[in-house]
Amino acid sequence: MSQRRSLLRYSLLAISLLFSTLLHAAERTLEGAYGPVTLEGAPQRVVALGDNALDAALSLEVQPVGTLASRGGDDVPEYLAAKAGDIALVGTVREPNLEAILMLQPDLIIASTELPRALYDKLSLIAPTVVPEGSSFQDWRRIYRTYAQALGKPDLADRRIAEIDARVAELRQRLPDGQQVSVVRWNPQGPFVMSSQLFVGQLLDALGLKPNELATQTKRPHTDILSLENLAKADADWIFLATLNPDGEKALEAARQQPAFTRLGAVKNDRVVSVDGQIWSSSSGYLAAQQVLDDVEQALLD
Amino acid sequence: MTAARLPLPTVLLSAGLLLSVLCLASLLLGAGDVGIGPSLAALFGGGDDDARFVVFELRGLRTELAVLVGVALGAGGLLLQAATRNPLAEPGLLGVSAGASFAVVVAISLGASAGTLSLAVAVLGAMVGCVLVLLVTQLRGVGDDPVRLVLAGAAFTGLLTALSSLLLLQDQRTADEVRFWVIGALAGRSPDTVSWSLPGLILGLLVVLPLVRPLAALTLGERVASGLGHHPQLTRLATLLAVALLVGTATAAAGPIGFVGLVVPFLARRLVGSDVRRGLGVAILLGPCVVLAADILSRLLVRPYELPVGVVTAFVGAPILIAVVRSHRLPSL
Amino acid sequence: MNIPLAHASSAPRDHWLLGIAGLRLLIHRRSLLAGIGLCLALAASLGWLLIAGTHDLTLWQALRAATGDGNPLQVLLVRELRLPRLVAGLLSGAALGAAGCLLQTLARNRLATPGVIGIDDGATAFAVASIVAVPTSLAPTALALSGASTAAVLAFALAAGGGARGYRFIVVGIAIGVLFGALTNLMLARADIDAANAAYPWTVGSLNARPAQAVWLLGIGLALGLPAAKLLVRPLAVMRFSDNVAIGLGVDLPRIRLLTLALTVWLTALAVAVVGPVGLIALVAPEMARYLCRQHGVPVVNSALSGALLMVLADWVGRTVLAPVEIPVGIIMAIVGGPYLLWILLRQPSRTLT
Repeated sequence: MSQRRSLLRYSLLAISLLFSTLLHAAERTLEGAYGPVTLEGAPQRVVALGDNALDAALSLEVQPVGTLASRGGDDVPEYLAAKAGDIALVGTVREPNLEAILMLQPDLIIASTELPRALYDKLSLIAPTVVPEGSSFQDWRRIYRTYAQALGKPDLADRRIAEIDARVAELRQRLPDGQQVSVVRWNPQGPFVMSSQLFVGQLLDALGLKPNELATQTKRPHTDILSLENLAKADADWIFLATLNPDGEKALEAARQQPAFTRLGAVKNDRVVSVDGQIWSSSSGYLAAQQVLDDVEQALLD
Repeated sequence: MTAARLPLPTVLLSAGLLLSVLCLASLLLGAGDVGIGPSLAALFGGGDDDARFVVFELRGLRTELAVLVGVALGAGGLLLQAATRNPLAEPGLLGVSAGASFAVVVAISLGASAGTLSLAVAVLGAMVGCVLVLLVTQLRGVGDDPVRLVLAGAAFTGLLTALSSLLLLQDQRTADEVRFWVIGALAGRSPDTVSWSLPGLILGLLVVLPLVRPLAALTLGERVASGLGHHPQLTRLATLLAVALLVGTATAAAGPIGFVGLVVPFLARRLVGSDVRRGLGVAILLGPCVVLAADILSRLLVRPYELPVGVVTAFVGAPILIAVVRSHRLPSL
Repeated sequence: MNIPLAHASSAPRDHWLLGIAGLRLLIHRRSLLAGIGLCLALAASLGWLLIAGTHDLTLWQALRAATGDGNPLQVLLVRELRLPRLVAGLLSGAALGAAGCLLQTLARNRLATPGVIGIDDGATAFAVASIVAVPTSLAPTALALSGASTAAVLAFALAAGGGARGYRFIVVGIAIGVLFGALTNLMLARADIDAANAAYPWTVGSLNARPAQAVWLLGIGLALGLPAAKLLVRPLAVMRFSDNVAIGLGVDLPRIRLLTLALTVWLTALAVAVVGPVGLIALVAPEMARYLCRQHGVPVVNSALSGALLMVLADWVGRTVLAPVEIPVGIIMAIVGGPYLLWILLRQPSRTLT
């Protein structure tokens, strides 16, 4: 009896040793925002916390099992909804539901750069949790690559980034020279300008489009709400009006009610484009980049 | 306390003068690049197109709004204090504004857009708040206790705030739209705000006119008022209707702007005593002064950006609240 | 243990006189029973909260998991998610309940609780500042402490003349709360949205994944604070009558007042640093304790127990009503406690606490 048990134990030990050496080849250590994270093998059950994490997973052909409701919405961000399919919601950006995440039994959690330390500590107990270093001011490709490494698809990520780079270079050729663009979020109280160092700003810069002066000055993701007297400072050749309203035209209509807005050069020349704020002001990644490039191409070339 | 401190004409004249100075200042000062010189030039028909736009359209609109909201809140505060015989009664503190803004949050989350808020929603919310205040004042031991009424208002406001948060929790999209709205502000309102809120203000003031005498009698006590042939309950009810109209209008136009209804009657009492008839005239002039001053500050404090005016009035109003409570004994109305 | 019920006839009504080795202890019968009842209710709800949630366990599984035994998933669920959350709720609820009881007694007014007089708002404003306004992120606990002290000192200093009692003190407190509230609003309105999200738990009150150090600090603070509060009960009980009576009985009034206030601030700030402003606990818990004891004493311990019970139950409601979306515990308490506060205000004919 005891012999048989010890035999079983030895064989189990041998098998697990064999497996661990096999997996050891795929073991990798990532530098996360809160310290190094060691991962093994290809993750099967991924929970993506945040729009950019979900974007990365979906664009890298990984189907996450759970995600958060998008900031400014109560469901998966609209531009990812079709690809995400039937995915479990595990809370909101403000209050991720830890028990719900645990119950999904993930083997990898990828989260936005803003994830607070206390949440990271808890999530790490559930599964290896990757929070990319830096902030949304970082080169979006670096954050995207970090997610790709976590997902075990660095090569695919390189190809994706190359696709974007190629499309940017191609589009740049066709775009008119020396155009200035400004990315504005419209609120009932007034607008603010998104920083040019964010994901969208990086793309626009690569396209050879000049940012608005206010957007380069701000040290934060966006300026304070502009005084309507200073609205002219948000003017540019083109204005991309990011809105979280499902109906972008509605926000544009609301903005047009404001005489200070209708005086802007871009408005007079009918060069205001309403775009999805979930992409233009809060997300980043391959799929978001494609959408931004679509928007720019459609606006400036059609 | 009943004796007038200063002669009424003097007070009215200087308040009127102050109001015109503040109106002018409101047209000349702003967060933008158009300074006093160019603004003055624009005002006298000169200046460039931009300066004229900023002075007449932007600053002009918010000056009009400030005057409108100031009249509504100043008069509303004074009336509420007279009707409840409570120097701490303030539409914001008693939960009337909270009622109005909660109604607006509900309306937005049901699909209305913040840009096209209906006045009726806010007035209805304010009305509910007023009725609750009335019910509370009818309770024995509470109605004549100034401070407990305020506490009840604070509790009511807290409850509505929590309910709003609960609504917003389920609907993040609304949250983003409301985040800037729950703090009152005069900027960025659509130009027709003045035209649709003016009827509310006028209606509210019209309701007040026949109430002034009965209210003045009411401050002498219910028995005296009854003896003089007035109906205390009816007077109170009608006054609160007027308050609901005024405060609802102001909230729909500019969001909740707290403490104006506390500061203005406080100043009016200091200047002309606690007589309702004298006080109302002063309050109607001083209300806009307080709102204008707060709005001008809100433009200048963090130039080139702006503060919401509700934050400024809270910073000014809270110390006044403390001053009222600290004054040796609460002045009875 | 055998406790002889000595001199039962000489004990006042409703009390037990316990004599152990010459030491005599007069115990209010109902208080003791209430305490035992609360402990039992707490134990029952703790057990229930360990087994119920997104994934239901059996009691046996939960207990095994709590000792680190059994299915690793369940161990993780119980030991890392449910237990810490329960402990955070328990400690913060107890601290707020005790603080509420102390301040009510000190101010001789059942409405004078830390939340009502602005101590919560002060702590919140400072904690939010540490996240959104101040570039270096100082520990929110330290800042919550300084914010709470600032608000308390302001409230007492500005209400001076009226004494730390009566409604004047409370309205001054409300005004201070409004000031700090405006400050918080201002910081949040000017903060970018990500920072506003990070500060969110401190603005509504939430028990979701609270920082472990803050919970530890609260635990230590409570372990020091509760016995200290118990020591203050006797002079406070005397002070309920009038200053003259208290002085006549040899109570050092200024010292006791200062100590009580300091203790209130200490407990409130530590709790707010963990859970955010869930101030209504401090109002409802002592009420509940007093009701259960049917005694107009200073039920600090029972208030702490009631506070803990209320907090964990409110958190449970918040987690289950809209699952998987969690409602922060502060919102639940405001919706439950708000009407209760109104009810106290409107129903009570006299101004006094007793």
